[in-house]
Amino acid sequence: MKNTYLQISQMITGALVAVLLAIHITVQQWFVVLGLLGIKVADPTTWGSMMERAHQGSWVGIYIALLAFGLFHALNGFRNILLEINLSALAIRILTGFIIAFGVIFLILGTYAPIALFSSYR
Amino acid sequence: MNNDAVKKITFRVQRFDPEKDRKPHFQEFTVPVKRGTTVMEGLLYIKENLDSSLAFRTSCRMGVCGSCGMLINEYPHLACHTQVEEFHSDKLTLKPLPNMAIIKDLVPKLDTLFEHHKSVKPYIIREDKEEMEKPTAGYLQKPQQLDEYLQFTYCIKCGLCIAACPTSASDKAFLGPQALGQAYRYCADSRDEGQDFRYAIVEKDHAVWNCHFAAACSEACPKGVDPALGIQLLRKGVAAKALGIKKTAAPATLATPPALAKPKIDVPEFTVEPK
Repeated sequence: MKNTYLQISQMITGALVAVLLAIHITVQQWFVVLGLLGIKVADPTTWGSMMERAHQGSWVGIYIALLAFGLFHALNGFRNILLEINLSALAIRILTGFIIAFGVIFLILGTYAPIALFSSYR
Repeated sequence: MNNDAVKKITFRVQRFDPEKDRKPHFQEFTVPVKRGTTVMEGLLYIKENLDSSLAFRTSCRMGVCGSCGMLINEYPHLACHTQVEEFHSDKLTLKPLPNMAIIKDLVPKLDTLFEHHKSVKPYIIREDKEEMEKPTAGYLQKPQQLDEYLQFTYCIKCGLCIAACPTSASDKAFLGPQALGQAYRYCADSRDEGQDFRYAIVEKDHAVWNCHFAAACSEACPKGVDPALGIQLLRKGVAAKALGIKKTAAPATLATPPALAKPKIDVPEFTVEPK
């Protein structure tokens, strides 16, 4: 049932990425929308505002989750496309290993920054 | 068009003889057609009157056997089930079904179709092996249970769905809509107990999860079967099984042999004496 579990995970991560991305985009742009309505709020894209969010555990969690789900969804989807070109079993194993390694490295690199920022605040 | 009016139509036929040709080429034939003439009748006219070396498959001539699948004006059709008039054109281009090797002219190699079909175990699997070997009665099935898979039994294995499928075109190892549709047909049969065997087969690479749901298979099917629906329902079943939320009903039971069955109402004895 490996392929089925991967496909179910692909669907779930796709939905989660959509939700988390919607939160991210809304937060980045909502001040523009509110500004059009005449309500003045602080610009969330300034350095200070970003640092403020980086020091909140909930935002660190959201960004790490977005990175993890996004990486899984993108790399598993990329693997699915490549599998359609009739590769040998060995080539599939090598490709899968390479994709997993790529994902893990980028997950570590990507989580380092928010965790380091969050830790420095404490 | 008047019933008796004869019109000249050009049949542009792809020819390929593996013993002589390096690659396929086209040959044109002028065929007289009238209202109701099918593409198959046009091909038979060519074979009988113009070029007896033209190769194509034909058998029932009434859309039942599935032998005469071919590309007509770049779309898969059964030649015996398609009238020339439908195309509103003076020229028809005929090619063998794509996504399959060519044996000769319009004859595709259907080996892969049948191998894939066979691989999904297209038959009733029961745990009561003795009954399967030496059947004593039929299995009971409600009309509602029959409706679950009835349309999929209409498949005639013509290969038009595979010819129309974009995934089959790009992934030669893909099981294809025909085999996957038939896998669903048997999984949905209340008499069957082979779901686990089939789920394990269709769950592998190049199978149920590789369908892109273009639904071109369902559009091309000359028998009105909807393989794309079957694939989606098969996915639902495989996913439910993997998540442990699949509802499993007890398999159909054996029907009581008629001789032992009690009538629902009291039937009077036959009392008229023969003369």
